[in-house]
Amino acid sequence: MRRFDQLAVAVLALLATGIIAAGSLWLGGYDPLVAGAAMFQGSFGSGTAIFSVTMVRAVPLIVTGLAVALAFRAGVWNIGAEGQLYAGAIAAAWVGLSWGNAPGWFLTSATLVAALLAGAVWAAIPAFMKVRLGIGEVIPTILMNFVGIYLAAFVVHGPLQETRGVFPQTDPISDAARLSVLVEGTRLHAGFLIALLLGVILWIGLRWTHFGFQARAVGASPEAARVSGMIESKRVLLVVFLSSGAIAGLAGGIEITGVTFALYEGLSPGWGYTAIAVALLAGLHPAWVVFTGLLFGGLEAGAGAMQREAGVPAAWVSAVEALVILFVLAGDQIRRRFGA
Amino acid sequence: MTEVLARLDGIIRHFGHVKALDSANLEIHSGEIHGILGENGAGKTTLLNILGGIIHPDVGFVEVGGSRVRLQSARAAWKMGIGLVHQHFTLVPGLSVLENLALGRRHRGHRWKLHLKEIRKEASQLSELTGLTVPFEASIEELGVGDRQRIEILKALLRDPQLLVLDEPTAVLAPAEINQLFRLLRSLAEEGRAVVLVAHKLDEILSIVDRVTVLRQGRTVMTAARADVDTAILTDAMVGSSSGDGEAPATPDSFSALGQNSDGLAQNRELSNRPVARLKGITVYSPQGGLALQDVGLEVLRGEVIGVAGVEGNGQRELALVLSGRQEVASGKLEIPEHVGFIPQDRTREGLAADFDLTENVALALHRDPKFRLGPLLRWSLIESHATKIRSRFKVRSSGGRTLARELSGGNQQRLVVGRELSQLPELLIAENPTRGLDFTATAFVREELKRLAHDTAAGVVLISTDLDEILEVADRVFVILRGKLTPVPSVHDSRETVGAMMLGSRLETH
Amino acid sequence: MPELIAVVAFLEASVRLGIPLALAAMGETITERSGVINIGLEGSLIAGALGGALGALAIGGPGGGILVGALAGALVAMIFAGFAVGLGTDQIITGTAITLGGLGFTGAIYQARFGTTGTALTLPTLSSLPIPLLSDIPIIGSALFNQAPTTYFTYLLAPALWYFVYRTEWGLELRAVGEEPDAAAAAGVRVKQSRFWATVFGGALAGIAGAHLALAHAGTFAENMSAGRGFIAIAVVVLGRWNPLLVLLAALFFGAASALQFQAQTLGLDVPYQLFLAFPYLLTLLALAGWVGKSRAPASLALPWPKES
Repeated sequence: MRRFDQLAVAVLALLATGIIAAGSLWLGGYDPLVAGAAMFQGSFGSGTAIFSVTMVRAVPLIVTGLAVALAFRAGVWNIGAEGQLYAGAIAAAWVGLSWGNAPGWFLTSATLVAALLAGAVWAAIPAFMKVRLGIGEVIPTILMNFVGIYLAAFVVHGPLQETRGVFPQTDPISDAARLSVLVEGTRLHAGFLIALLLGVILWIGLRWTHFGFQARAVGASPEAARVSGMIESKRVLLVVFLSSGAIAGLAGGIEITGVTFALYEGLSPGWGYTAIAVALLAGLHPAWVVFTGLLFGGLEAGAGAMQREAGVPAAWVSAVEALVILFVLAGDQIRRRFGA
Repeated sequence: MTEVLARLDGIIRHFGHVKALDSANLEIHSGEIHGILGENGAGKTTLLNILGGIIHPDVGFVEVGGSRVRLQSARAAWKMGIGLVHQHFTLVPGLSVLENLALGRRHRGHRWKLHLKEIRKEASQLSELTGLTVPFEASIEELGVGDRQRIEILKALLRDPQLLVLDEPTAVLAPAEINQLFRLLRSLAEEGRAVVLVAHKLDEILSIVDRVTVLRQGRTVMTAARADVDTAILTDAMVGSSSGDGEAPATPDSFSALGQNSDGLAQNRELSNRPVARLKGITVYSPQGGLALQDVGLEVLRGEVIGVAGVEGNGQRELALVLSGRQEVASGKLEIPEHVGFIPQDRTREGLAADFDLTENVALALHRDPKFRLGPLLRWSLIESHATKIRSRFKVRSSGGRTLARELSGGNQQRLVVGRELSQLPELLIAENPTRGLDFTATAFVREELKRLAHDTAAGVVLISTDLDEILEVADRVFVILRGKLTPVPSVHDSRETVGAMMLGSRLETH
Repeated sequence: MPELIAVVAFLEASVRLGIPLALAAMGETITERSGVINIGLEGSLIAGALGGALGALAIGGPGGGILVGALAGALVAMIFAGFAVGLGTDQIITGTAITLGGLGFTGAIYQARFGTTGTALTLPTLSSLPIPLLSDIPIIGSALFNQAPTTYFTYLLAPALWYFVYRTEWGLELRAVGEEPDAAAAAGVRVKQSRFWATVFGGALAGIAGAHLALAHAGTFAENMSAGRGFIAIAVVVLGRWNPLLVLLAALFFGAASALQFQAQTLGLDVPYQLFLAFPYLLTLLALAGWVGKSRAPASLALPWPKES
């Protein structure tokens, strides 16, 4: 029954968003149908669209979505996935460039592990402030986003800038560090499999493991977890927070090793924030995050097409994503207030 | 010449699909003290909230001073002269006592300043008149329940109500404080005002009321003058032939059917005559920084129920948390078993996770037990079967293990918590106000189970309760907790008045 | 004397940088006093900036821009309050969504109106208005009293809000709602109404702050020009212990710390440009960590009301 309700909320939220979105387009003088068609064409309309654009764009969304879902399940409001992603990307670029001589599988793994660690480090400051100092994690994680973005900018203008010295970007990482392509002739890379695997791991972890139960308990009721469950909340929160950061960092690493092969400013169009919509629409359930990640991947893939064909500014898509969050929240609240 | 001050007629009120009031009536005369009796869950508080303008009836009407009114809000009720003193205190800790007294009083056209001086003057005068002494200078956090209630009553009286309504005022008071309160109420009634008292404990209020109305399952089943009824008649009216949660207390084999060898357990335990828990010189600080427990010493023996009586706010919380191993001590020696069962007083926030289903809530107590784990995984099928057994043995009414805890009634929630903790067959169980807010059947059930655990399985049970009658009914040995200090009550003086006096710190007279 | 000029320039920059923070933070102070944390403040800020820009263009003067900016900020806050106060959705996530939506919508509207080429918009600016006599005081005179009019509005607002919160019946009810909404409700206070208007007021002030940014600061509108000031403002409320006067001081202190970065630049310190940009955020983190435990938030902050049964 619970699952059905959550599905209902998700579907209704999407419907409500669609209506408001179409309405806002119409008010702005755009043709909602043309825009919608362009969006669909750009995201699911062709083999290239599906494999080279939508699914590729979905990977960072699924991975950061998982990071956010994990954190939210334990009651940790990690709004810092964006900064953690950048930290991971920086670390991945650095390793990918520095260790060019190592064998392929080792280099790729090292790059991704570096990304994981960097993401965890990025989450460590807000985590410490929460667990040791009792400071709410929302503002610190958001602040770290800004720092992360500027750190990346610094790195590509300075220490890691391409040898040519012309553009603010790094040299391309060596071929050995890159993730292999899954489908010949497309840009779909092994990162997609990593994302799926991660989804399965988190699903099993939350549902079946002892630690997963403790994390869920802390998220469901910190007081009950402490008093009735005798759970060490601080330790659980710390582990979840750092893991969430690590996974978001991994998303950055996957982008570097699978798609861009170099770091530059503006690597992420706000994936860390979209991840919140991805996670909430999925009801914070790791398996569903894969699907909502694909949905939002399609949305972002179609945004470019929509701008070209119908002239709708791409920024409008972030507004639509915000609407999804609002309607999911409202739907959940209504469901809770007025019974199943 | 008495007149009808207020009348509620044919009130029906739903909350979701639950019918809280199903044709309830009430008639209050001036100059009387009127008692509203009923079990927990019978609808008393709902009826009061309608009288106080906080909620509206779905069907039925309210009459004040002979004319029908629609009480749109609490403020409207005050304007009609109805003053409500709530069960859970409604004082704001961040504000001063005076500011609390001033809250809600609006000086039309002069809202751009506070009128604390005038209010202080009024309050002082009223204080002298009624004998309700209130520490104006103190901050709310420091005050005990007795003081807080006095402030609440003063706050209500400042508005000069014709009808004063008090929701379960005696629940947290010591016997001497109750007498003081009743004297005040009688003098108010003699002035021509009316006083309505809500209670679920008969004996206390029978001494003070002139007339009573009994509610059962949302319906008025009896209205009578005090002289025409007695305890038996009233209990019968309150409880009736059908029971609250609809189930009889758990059958005698509630333990042995859990697959534990509980018969052997008692024998094994009694072989060792070491106490199951020992505290020595325990000192604990409260979150606000003061001393919550001072040099507390206690020994809990097997097979006994120890009762800790006291007025709320004297360190019960810290004692419960320390005894059950949920809190560290600042100093002292603490010897408790590795696993201690705990029934916390806040069942909806601390006992259960509202959004977890019943099985997951049971898992809260089981997850640390290696028996229910397999490496890093939890053995959910085993946990589920355990939870099913608990639900059936302790008669938790629900729609299955997947029901969310929030969907259960209060009584069933407590059955789940009690069942979960008891079925672990702990050597030591701490119960903190375990029957608060429960109806008659559930209350009797919980008390019975606590006694059984101690006597049948040779466990030690510590019952910490603000309900003195509960302590006297269940406990084998009684202690009183006052300002963080624990004092044993010599069994010879186990009378209500004596223990009550100790709760307040009056000196015990020795003969 | 070059040193004196440098000091005066530093003070002027401090006030200039601190005022938008102060406005947004004072607004959020009132909001949080009612028990609501508005992470969507950034959304109100950017909406105010765009509203200020469009308003000034449409009405033909910066004053109109300020007004439209205030309305835009209030509108965004109204949407937030509808969900968080009216429905009782989680304040933190709702606020985050409002900020994302605000940034997205303003970006989209700007792009739709002015294209994506990024040519700067020129706006009628809100120029400095020196106060006679006061602005002649040596050193601090021009820093404090030769600023845009919104600055003076901010100075007057701080004591006014202080008086409102601590010395009026409205303020008493606001504080009660923020500490113990059940008690306030029992005393007859309309909790949801109180929270709603406190939130809208906060949004309006943030909108003015945004309009000030566009019209007095930058002289133009650019996407995401709020640059996280809304979040920093929320931290400033903590530093100012939810007291309007202290909040103003804390905001000015922040402005001073940010102004230091320009001083360092003129002194020729070889610090990477991006570190300067990151400085305010790092400073906020440090300030939050350092100030911990020294003040208590309103007890019902971020908790929905009525509580779920």
